[in-house]
Amino acid sequence: MDMKRDYYEDVQLFTSGVVVFWMAIMLAALAIFPFLATSYYIYMANFLAINVIVVIGLNILVGYAGQVSLGHAGFFAIGAYGTVILMTEVHLPFLVALPLAGLIAAGFGFLLGLPSLRLEGPYLAIATLGFGLTITQIIGRIELFGGRQGLHTPELFIGPWHLESDRDFYFLLIPLTILLALTARNLIKTKVGRALIAIRDAEIAAETLGVNLMGYKTLAFAISAFYAGVGGGLYAFVLRFIEPEIFTLLMSIMFLAMVVVGGLGSIMGSITGACLLSWLDLQLRNILSIPYLGKWLEALSQEWFSITGVSNIQLIVFGAILVLIMLFEPLGIFGFWIRAKKYWKTWPF
Amino acid sequence: MKRQGWVLLLAGVMLLIGLVAGVGAEEGVTATEIHIGQWGPQTGPAAAWGSVARGTDAYFKMINERGGINGRKLIHHMFDDAYNPAKTKAGVKELQEGTGMFAWVSGVGTAPGLAVRDYLMERGVPWVGPSAGSLHWVDPPHKYLFAVYPLYALEARALCRYAVANMGKQKIAIIYQNDDYGKNGLKGAREELARHGIELVAEVPVNVTDSDLKPHVMKLKKSNAEVVLLWTTVRHAVMTVGISKAMRFQTQFMSTSTCSDFPLMMHISKGAWEGVIAATFAELPDSGYPLLQTYKQEAFDQYAAKGERWGLFYYAGIVFAEPLVEAIRRCGDDVTRERLVQELESLKDFKGISGKISYKPFDPNDPSCRQGQSQTFLVQCMAGGKAKQLTDWATID
Amino acid sequence: MIDFIQMLINGIAAGSSYALIGLAMVIIYKTSEVPNFAQGEMALISTYVAYMLLEQHQFPSYLAFPLSLVFAVVLGCILEFTILRRAKEPNVLGMIIITIGIEMILMGLVSWKFGAEQKSMPFPISPYDSVMIGDFFVSTLEVLTLVVALCTMIVLFLFFRYSRLGMAMKATQQNPMAARIMGIRTRRILMATWGISSLVGASAGLLLSPVIMQPYMMWDPMLKGFAAAVMGGMTSLPGAVFGAYLLGIIENLFGGYISIEFKSVVAFAVIVLMLCIRPSGLFARHYVKKV
Repeated sequence: MDMKRDYYEDVQLFTSGVVVFWMAIMLAALAIFPFLATSYYIYMANFLAINVIVVIGLNILVGYAGQVSLGHAGFFAIGAYGTVILMTEVHLPFLVALPLAGLIAAGFGFLLGLPSLRLEGPYLAIATLGFGLTITQIIGRIELFGGRQGLHTPELFIGPWHLESDRDFYFLLIPLTILLALTARNLIKTKVGRALIAIRDAEIAAETLGVNLMGYKTLAFAISAFYAGVGGGLYAFVLRFIEPEIFTLLMSIMFLAMVVVGGLGSIMGSITGACLLSWLDLQLRNILSIPYLGKWLEALSQEWFSITGVSNIQLIVFGAILVLIMLFEPLGIFGFWIRAKKYWKTWPF
Repeated sequence: MKRQGWVLLLAGVMLLIGLVAGVGAEEGVTATEIHIGQWGPQTGPAAAWGSVARGTDAYFKMINERGGINGRKLIHHMFDDAYNPAKTKAGVKELQEGTGMFAWVSGVGTAPGLAVRDYLMERGVPWVGPSAGSLHWVDPPHKYLFAVYPLYALEARALCRYAVANMGKQKIAIIYQNDDYGKNGLKGAREELARHGIELVAEVPVNVTDSDLKPHVMKLKKSNAEVVLLWTTVRHAVMTVGISKAMRFQTQFMSTSTCSDFPLMMHISKGAWEGVIAATFAELPDSGYPLLQTYKQEAFDQYAAKGERWGLFYYAGIVFAEPLVEAIRRCGDDVTRERLVQELESLKDFKGISGKISYKPFDPNDPSCRQGQSQTFLVQCMAGGKAKQLTDWATID
Repeated sequence: MIDFIQMLINGIAAGSSYALIGLAMVIIYKTSEVPNFAQGEMALISTYVAYMLLEQHQFPSYLAFPLSLVFAVVLGCILEFTILRRAKEPNVLGMIIITIGIEMILMGLVSWKFGAEQKSMPFPISPYDSVMIGDFFVSTLEVLTLVVALCTMIVLFLFFRYSRLGMAMKATQQNPMAARIMGIRTRRILMATWGISSLVGASAGLLLSPVIMQPYMMWDPMLKGFAAAVMGGMTSLPGAVFGAYLLGIIENLFGGYISIEFKSVVAFAVIVLMLCIRPSGLFARHYVKKV
């Protein structure tokens, strides 16, 4: 669509004044939001932001490098436990412990990336899935990690700043999310990003062109694990309590679903996908209190299904949304966006 | 005529003051309503526990039908958290900051509860009867958190004591779920047996997701245990007992209160559950205990949805709410959180359909000040899901 | 030694149900390259249909079980026709998400209709009866499962080798375009594949149900069946069966001799190691990609 004339045009953050304008509006909205909303909505925003971080990282792996992962809950767990343990046992400050835990996760990502050199499709899916399941077992076994009883997070200080409320945490989390998103975006525009895309599109062709397959594939795993690890470290403090069973296979599946629904190979898509699905995940429990629809569903359950299982409508709705989005737009929300943009550009033709 | 007008005016003013005072009194309390929150998994792998919340709901409806508590109706807000702590926290915050809950009752699961414990305690919102017998609730104790469910370790002690002292068994093994629930049972069993100078002959962990328990049962069989303690989910307990039957491994099984719903256990185990001894924390579903029968007729028969079963999990929802309701009743018109805590603390040997419940004034060093129920009795499963009572209610130290 | 042989027997018993699910997944993957995460739930809903017929409508069991299998076939065909066929420009990831979506919908339907409480399937054979061969125990239900698994494998083998439909399926899988030109209705073939796969999966569900019935009962067997299929090479029917038995035996030996705590995940560790050596599984020929 847009013609890029030189490299600097490709890497610049804002392509036009309109983009700058809307970005400024969005930033302002993000800054004002915590002063208007109750703690519940701020908590939700924090939760969304963490998913955004993880999903951006996963998109680098899935969308750009073309590798599948069903084990990101494992990296998430490593990040969460790593951060908490580094703070309580090694007494590192949070801002050191968090990236360090991310690096530990990245190390594991590197290791998991090694078999990926030879695996693809369902083979890689089952290998990563196994990783995710095994990690929680191992963590549950180690007494230092609180075993199966879980761990409470310590009080959070950054210098003299005591982060007590969700609002305090919001002010840490949102800038961090923006920073990580921008990093990811810039990374994609560099040599690394182009190499990853080349690997995704044609592995052998990329190799013949001098792309170091091993280096870049494991790098993609490591970067994506780093993002998941950082997300996990932050999640521990949003929840303020962690235990191995939180990090289930379902969580890994959700992350992958967010990436695909948002749109493969698009940072903006990841952000919207993560926000949409995690919002649905939190809000669908209220489906029965929607006026009219809720009553109707209850009547339906009374007649044909069981009223004790009525909450499971959430699952059906969630599943249906996944199926419908994938059926109508394989590129996810990002695909809808592209189509809408195209449509308006050529309107009324 | 004039005098009557004055009286009317006076009455009106009084009512207005009353209303204003009622509104200003406490979060979640108005002149006519008391809002109580609860979470429970209605979906997800732990959804079988969802009937706890539905039981509480029916119980509150019954109370409201009888005119409420001192003229106030109990408004029950329950939501589904799918046993996911992140969702529990979201739901609790939404209700607490939106509608405003006076107190929280029950709430299934250790992990979901731990995710919101600090939030509720910091706000000073009372929380009565988490439905998990975890040490996390009472050690260290919290001013606003009142546990009802007897500690898992306690049931293990009672069972071991009975096995050793009354049945004269020496070889005791345990199969336990690899989490807080199972580990507490393991701890209790170890401690009790250490007193008798015995060690467990086998300790077999089982993961929640395991679907093939044969290796576990082989381990138990190899230990030649005379008694096997089952500290697992209903599903795994049934599988263990069944596979043992298939493997001709004859032993005395003993289970936690989680599996003490004998009609259900007999049904899903196709009769293999007969002879199992279980600890319980409440009267049995078919017992003739008058209060339990009242609940069954006035709460369950009236308000339970079609397809609901009068089982242990269902009326556990009543067990956990009983002390809260009693304390609110004792508050009279002065329904405030501080008063509620005082009234709860003054409960002495309160008897509902569980064992006797007592609390003590808050003492940060004494876990027992917030552990209300420490009683259990043992029953044995007979043919047709009938229960034979082996012991009376006994307090286990 | 007695223990060892008993563990082998237990492993084979456990492997039989993995084998059925693994076969079901391979059938679909072979023709359409979709790793079907809804396999377990498709079996689940068919199993609950059998339960409903037996318990709520008092059907005799010789009617209820065949009817539920018929339902399974219809369900498979409908899913293919209404959902998977509609997918535009399908890529593997999109397909995974679609099957996960289907999985959630089916799981939701079952839990909505029947609630979460454990149910007891009135199966003609009790899962807790056993036969004794020498010093060893095998439960009767497991003998039945083993027989069903082996028969299914043989029937499938003969079907793919000799029947017209089976040949057509093979042709479709090898080269859809050529098959179409030769007059094979490839879309119908795909639909039939889903039906057959659903049937095989449902038989696994029915054989697992007597132990305990609850909405989450197929989750773990599905993963294990998937793992077994991957181990065997994802496209090979005998491979899936072999992988399943190997997995069952490894699990039982590992649980018996090394660590019972890690028993449930050892399968995946073994798979990762095995895949490092043979990236396309034990039985599939390694497919070399060309530019």
